[in-house]
Amino acid sequence: MSVENEHSERMKKFKNKGKDTAALRRQRMEVSVELRKAKKDEQMQKRRNISVTSIDKSLSPGEDEASEVQLSLEKIVQCVNGSDPELQLLATQATRRLLSRRKDPPVNEIIRLGIIPRLVEFLTYADNAPLQFEAAWALTNIASGTSEHTRAVVEGGAVPPFIFLLSSPHMHISEQSVWALGNIAGDGPLYRDVLINCKVLPPLLALVSPVTPIGFLRNITWTLSNLCRNKNPYPPLDAMRTILPVLTSLIVHEDKEVVSDSCWAISYLTDSCNDRIQIVVDTGILPRLVQLMDSPELMVMTPALRAVGNIVTGTDEQTQAAIDAGLLGVLPRLLQHAKPTVQKEAAWALSNVAAGPCHQIQQLITSGLLPPLVEVLEKGDFKAQKEAVWAVANFTTGGTVEQVVKLVQSGILKPLFNLLLAKDSKTVLIILDTISNFFLTAEKLGETDRFCLMVEELDGLEKIEALQTHDNNMVYRSALNIIEKYFSMEESAELQPGTTEDGLFYFSVDKEDHNF
Amino acid sequence: MELSDANLQTLTEYLKKTLDPDPAIRRPAEKFLESVEGSQNYPLLLLTLLEKSQENVIKVCASVTFKNYIKRNWRIVEDEPNKICESDRIAIKANIVPLMLSSPEQIQKQLSDAISIIGREDFPQKWPDLLTEMVNRFQSGDFHVINGVLRTAHSLFKRYRHEFKSNELWSEIKLVLDAFALPLTNLFKATIELCSTHANDASALKVLFSSLILIAKLFYSLNFQDLPEFFEDNMETWMTNFHSLLTLDNKLLQTDDEEEAGLLELLKSQICDNAALYAQKYDEEFQPYLPRFVTAIWNLLVTTGQEVKYDLLVSNAIQFLASVCERPHYKHLFEDQNTLTSICEKVIVPNMEFRAADEEAFEDNSEEYIRRDLEGSDIDTRRRAACDLVRGLCKFFEGPVTGIFSGYVNSMLQEYAKNPSVNWKHKDAAIYLVTSLASKAQTQKHGITQANELVNLTEFFVNHIQPDLKSASVNEFPVLKADGIKYIMIFRNQVPKEQLLVSIPLLINHLQAESIVVHTYAAHALERLFTMRGTNNTTLITAAEMAPFVEVLLTNLFKALTLPGSSENEYIMKAIMRSFSLLQESIIPYIPSVITQLTQKLLAVSKNPSKPHFNHYMFESICLSIRITCKANPDAVGSFEEALFMVFTEILQNDVQEFIPYVFQVMSLLLEMHKNEIPSSYMALFPHLLQPVLWERTGNIPPLVRLLQAYLERGANTIANAAADKIPGLLGVFQKLIASKANDHQGFYLLNSIIEHMPPGSVDQYRKQIFILLFQRLQNSKTTKFIKSFLVFINLYCIKYGALALQEIFDSIQPKMFGMVLEKIIIPEIQKVSGQVEKKICAVGITKILTECPPMMDTEYTKLWTPLLQALIGLFELPEDDTIPDEEHFIDIEDTPGYQTAFSQLAFAGKKEHDPVGQMVNNPRIHLAQSLHKLSTACPGRVPSMLSTSLNAEALQYLQGYLQAASVTLL
Repeated sequence: MSVENEHSERMKKFKNKGKDTAALRRQRMEVSVELRKAKKDEQMQKRRNISVTSIDKSLSPGEDEASEVQLSLEKIVQCVNGSDPELQLLATQATRRLLSRRKDPPVNEIIRLGIIPRLVEFLTYADNAPLQFEAAWALTNIASGTSEHTRAVVEGGAVPPFIFLLSSPHMHISEQSVWALGNIAGDGPLYRDVLINCKVLPPLLALVSPVTPIGFLRNITWTLSNLCRNKNPYPPLDAMRTILPVLTSLIVHEDKEVVSDSCWAISYLTDSCNDRIQIVVDTGILPRLVQLMDSPELMVMTPALRAVGNIVTGTDEQTQAAIDAGLLGVLPRLLQHAKPTVQKEAAWALSNVAAGPCHQIQQLITSGLLPPLVEVLEKGDFKAQKEAVWAVANFTTGGTVEQVVKLVQSGILKPLFNLLLAKDSKTVLIILDTISNFFLTAEKLGETDRFCLMVEELDGLEKIEALQTHDNNMVYRSALNIIEKYFSMEESAELQPGTTEDGLFYFSVDKEDHNF
Repeated sequence: MELSDANLQTLTEYLKKTLDPDPAIRRPAEKFLESVEGSQNYPLLLLTLLEKSQENVIKVCASVTFKNYIKRNWRIVEDEPNKICESDRIAIKANIVPLMLSSPEQIQKQLSDAISIIGREDFPQKWPDLLTEMVNRFQSGDFHVINGVLRTAHSLFKRYRHEFKSNELWSEIKLVLDAFALPLTNLFKATIELCSTHANDASALKVLFSSLILIAKLFYSLNFQDLPEFFEDNMETWMTNFHSLLTLDNKLLQTDDEEEAGLLELLKSQICDNAALYAQKYDEEFQPYLPRFVTAIWNLLVTTGQEVKYDLLVSNAIQFLASVCERPHYKHLFEDQNTLTSICEKVIVPNMEFRAADEEAFEDNSEEYIRRDLEGSDIDTRRRAACDLVRGLCKFFEGPVTGIFSGYVNSMLQEYAKNPSVNWKHKDAAIYLVTSLASKAQTQKHGITQANELVNLTEFFVNHIQPDLKSASVNEFPVLKADGIKYIMIFRNQVPKEQLLVSIPLLINHLQAESIVVHTYAAHALERLFTMRGTNNTTLITAAEMAPFVEVLLTNLFKALTLPGSSENEYIMKAIMRSFSLLQESIIPYIPSVITQLTQKLLAVSKNPSKPHFNHYMFESICLSIRITCKANPDAVGSFEEALFMVFTEILQNDVQEFIPYVFQVMSLLLEMHKNEIPSSYMALFPHLLQPVLWERTGNIPPLVRLLQAYLERGANTIANAAADKIPGLLGVFQKLIASKANDHQGFYLLNSIIEHMPPGSVDQYRKQIFILLFQRLQNSKTTKFIKSFLVFINLYCIKYGALALQEIFDSIQPKMFGMVLEKIIIPEIQKVSGQVEKKICAVGITKILTECPPMMDTEYTKLWTPLLQALIGLFELPEDDTIPDEEHFIDIEDTPGYQTAFSQLAFAGKKEHDPVGQMVNNPRIHLAQSLHKLSTACPGRVPSMLSTSLNAEALQYLQGYLQAASVTLL
């Protein structure tokens, strides 16, 4: 949904107040354009195998520098294409070593050699396990590069043999294949579905067992998460249904990397429509996710928070399930987390709870979330402040009069007004909308004058006035509306005491007539 | 139009003529150019002229004409013809950049504007090579060219600062970043290097610094939406250089001008903005650089002078510090006592001093001074910035900051005491410091509402403010007088009442001060004090307490209006109004003189109304005089009419548009004061009020409707007898109003008054037409507002003429119409009616339909009886339905209809709200019960059986409650 659309959608909701607050929930933003650096706290989409730590050294001969054979690229081509198994192994190993170099592996050069089909062929040499392994490793590292690189591997026909090798009797080959397939799946929805259609899941899931070594299990979990990843389209529904039971068992594992990647997988599956969220909720995984949100390990807490954050974008019932799982008890700590992105995600989740019906807003209040919300608005990171503004906006749209009064009493106004100075037109506009909501509540209470006073006392008025010269049209019009509606008839309020008693005269002129 | 020499020649001549001061020559030439601008090649002819003409003035004129042409025509509006032919568009885009860059500055600016207008429409899709073309020029090394490119880029990119995030916008920014960010960075580095190689060449430095300013502005635009990857990676380069530029000084760049900011100041202020942007939005990434910037910026502040040219820089810089010092994780940068002292001493205090420029404004431009000082339009001033910094620092360091400043205040007051006439500015600064230190929350209405407890405000008031105001001469040290008066004004809620009472005669005395600021502040302070609330919601200062001062107050206020520069002083007029409303009947003895002075003033300003506030308060004051006097002596209305009608006639005759709505309202008020039949002077005016031309101006409509309502209320019989031929005209007004979605409620106000007051016989012949009109409107453009008013009207009609008459008139228009209205409008929509009186009218009307309309009992309408009853109970018990259909959101629904407008409330101000049902029905629920009882006795058995068949249980329960309360039962 584009921002404009989203906004007009929201505006509609403001005016049809209380009619369909579920639509206020905001999905994770679909950003097809990003100006920022890719975030470090995202999960890796592809990984290169540059060491042998996870794989038994004895199975991979000649790792020590002394025995390393230097081959020229021409020689590699020659040997790979030749028929001598010794030389094939030597050349494949040399290729793999080049590709495992820490700095600038010559991926493009290797692809240009045209040896990929041959390496793929080696994968099928069941009688030559060392060659199979070296070829699998080399291909894994090629597939870990750019999309171009991955495509070269897939188009070289590597998918079927890799899937076949998942069931290899040699664990290290099977593991390397898991890794390679993970890289291919991580490239995007297209190759992910190619793998799923080639029936990657049954042999892959069969590898998970109580005796699977931990390193191997980590690789499997990561590959599974890539099979859950990406949208447009989402992964096929039956694949999702096949993977979920395994994920629910992996997520209670004692290893934090396994748990982390399981959480990432769930976060991908929930970053979706409500029907899919429902499938995840139905597994009963929510209490565990909420528990993990409280984990001291950033790598676990981050994806768990994301997953739960996605779930509360869903229906009122789905959000309620997250609340019942204890979400609101965990959020205050996360809102105060030192890491800005955590604050932001937590505030986003909170904004989606605030978009719910008033009984959920009530739970938000009773769980003590107003003070941390005020604190985020006051001194949180800007990204978190923006989300907190949405939370307040949603709260004032769906909350009852009493709840909105509570919100005002919590001291929300001062930091909210301060953010009218934010260097972000959208945020400013939402705050102005929110102020209008507060006024609607004040009108219902017959407290418009008092609220006007509060706005002025807290330096809100001068900021709104200044926004009348804002370059953004919608912002300036919104500010103007508030001023015209609530602050241009200063006199009437002041003279009111007179009219009740002694008939103090108020000479009223329609404000449209004069440009005061 | 060909690109020929002949055409160039013709165009040159016409362009020359457009510069002619004589409109007889200029206008036709402009018209001619407009008439040919649609021709092919026209823009290219202009471009040729601005490049090749022999005469410089023609070049410039061609460039301006070209820019305006682009502005008017470039945009392609959907469904409208393309106003520039495609080949011209292509040629313009191909040539304009090099042409702009090779032109002298005057023309370059016009072309640069034109490029950004074109860019707004065509960039990037339809002008893909623009960026590369611009970037390539960076290598030219010619800074005249480079600045042209930078300026154009700035006008293309600055919209990134205020637009909403969207995929389109961000794609464009990404494209720009990919092409532009690296070359810009390189240019930035190269320019800085050139600055050091040309450190001794003033003219080169000027060009280079102009580039740096533009580069810094571009940085701001490109970094505004989000922190781009490129700039995150290159933060070191940018921030290190920005930092060193902040600390840089070069004598060659210092300007002698005291007012206009020089290049160095402009650059540094933009850098402060850039740092503030990063600090606010990208704190996480910017944190390592921030402390350096804090230090640099406060050093900058310490070393920057008092001249006006530094104002923007200083206030930007202070605002930066103010925003940073409030953040908890930067608290440590400020908490050291020495740091705090140095900030207070070297940054805050100097910027609070009263400067020569302030003194000038105080004396020569008092209006502006007052606006800035009193109304807070001082957002960009140094004093204001310094104040904000004080408040920011107080968040964490209130104690230490107050301590430091107390010392300062004392020493400044001592300086003053040593030699007041020389050192009065020290006292001014002391007062300003106390004010900014003490005030935590402030409103126009109440002054300071929260004060810092560390400052003893009353003590300061008694010891340092009152003595100044008590001094014998009101004209000595006017700035300190103004300060003192302002102090009273803003701390009026902190200073005890007895001190305020002591101040009142002092303030009244200062109304005589020659200084405009001083007497204006005195008037304003009095006005504010008179609005303060005491206990029991009465005014804090009572009329009795003011009794000794009434005469001198009124005399001085009116005399102040005769002081030079204050003849239309809105503060004084407002104080007059407020004094009247506070003093009430104690002003009566002075009314003859007061009303004379007000009418004279009215006559004078009506020649050329220019101060809307002043005028407004003046009319308020006139109305108050009338109300207060006539309340005590109703016969006095005649003397007001005598005094005012002459001026009013002149205003109406001269069509003084600003005043006409006011005049109508004052006339309504006067008319309503008459207890007996309407005077003939008013009746003579009546036909004129129906003139269509008056109703064309929207501003006239509400007061005119109100005036006609007053005529109907007081003179319905007179109109029916003596002006029956005007009734169609009156209904014509109703018809005009009802046709408009914005004014239909006004039409209903008028109609309701007609129905309520006119003798039925006089409108009989029009009744059917009225209903037909309403139905037409209902059919063609039904809005919620219209329906609400319509419901009130038909029920009022029912009350006035009876339920049977209502049914008959509907069914006479079209058979079964009554049933349709019940079913389609009354039953489903009645819930939307708002307002107590409106609801009561509807309740009583519907009760009549239920119980006094035989067709409801024995025709096919009977099936609607229970649903109607259910709807009525809903009206009593359910919350109001305030939903509005989607498509109506954009209709102006500001005037939600009430039975009376805000204007007609005037008619009854001080009386009860007008309720046409009045005492006839006190409690509509009981009335319903009684009416049902009556009905059931007339036809026993029917009512209970209708109730039991289809009224829902909840409604039935409510109904039983009403019956019980009325102690009746249904038979």
